[in-house]
Amino acid sequence: MGVLLAASTSIATSTTAGQAALPAFAAVVETHKAMVYSIAWQFLHDRVAADELAQDVFLQLHKNWARMQSPAHLLFWLRKVATHRAIDAARKRKAKAETSLEETDEPTVLERVHDSFLASYLKRMVSSLPEKQRSVIVLRYQEEMELDEIAKVLGMNVRTVKTQISRALELLRGKVSRRLGKESTQ
Amino acid sequence: MTPFEEELKQALKREDPGADFTARVLAKCTQADERAEHSFWRVSWLMPAWRVGAVAAGLIVLAGGTAYEHHQHEVKGMAAKRQLLLAMRIAGTKLQEVQERVKESEQVEQ
Repeated sequence: MGVLLAASTSIATSTTAGQAALPAFAAVVETHKAMVYSIAWQFLHDRVAADELAQDVFLQLHKNWARMQSPAHLLFWLRKVATHRAIDAARKRKAKAETSLEETDEPTVLERVHDSFLASYLKRMVSSLPEKQRSVIVLRYQEEMELDEIAKVLGMNVRTVKTQISRALELLRGKVSRRLGKESTQ
Repeated sequence: MTPFEEELKQALKREDPGADFTARVLAKCTQADERAEHSFWRVSWLMPAWRVGAVAAGLIVLAGGTAYEHHQHEVKGMAAKRQLLLAMRIAGTKLQEVQERVKESEQVEQ
């Protein structure tokens, strides 16, 4: 990431987001694209929309490139912006179609026989969680972030994050145990 | 981490947006840079014209104001002159009347 710091310094001294830093920027996009895209996807469940949102996040990063102080700051910034933008986009789409936990469809026959059934089912369950709980679950289990990091990204206190996670896990366990039997939730 | 949390972690594994994603982002960034540069030049070309227009309009208003003020001064000056002449004429008439009365009374005494 020394390249990033060198590039960001050179950008800071130029008036526009310099093209000289594009290789370093491209490396950052390549490194973090899956993270940003997956956060967007967990909220939108639409590949095109998630792709668009992820692109916009990187475009915003390009504009703010000179402000990135370190690789850790950059990662924090990306997670924060991706999560908040995904939440906003999901809110806008909310009116169109919101699936509650109870309304979520039964798994199809094909899903039942598929090995990754539980994974796909869990994904759908996560997508039906309330916004706050979904955010903390995605950041905790997709991004494997610590509680204090999640708290910083979402602007919550650690205790709230903890509570949201345990409530979300409780909901998910309950739902999965009703569908699949208790053995899968132990 | 419980087995359920492990399952959750597996379920929420990151997904890749595709091989051409970075290229598309870079293309978007380049386009945005070009647009920003273009608008910068457009604004910098437009700014002097806008400023010249504003300054010219300001000068016209200032000149108009000064001319109007000057005209008002002249009008007031002329009115004052007329009043002064009238006052002098009245004073002259009065003086003549007094002189005539003085003459008449002298003749009566003689």
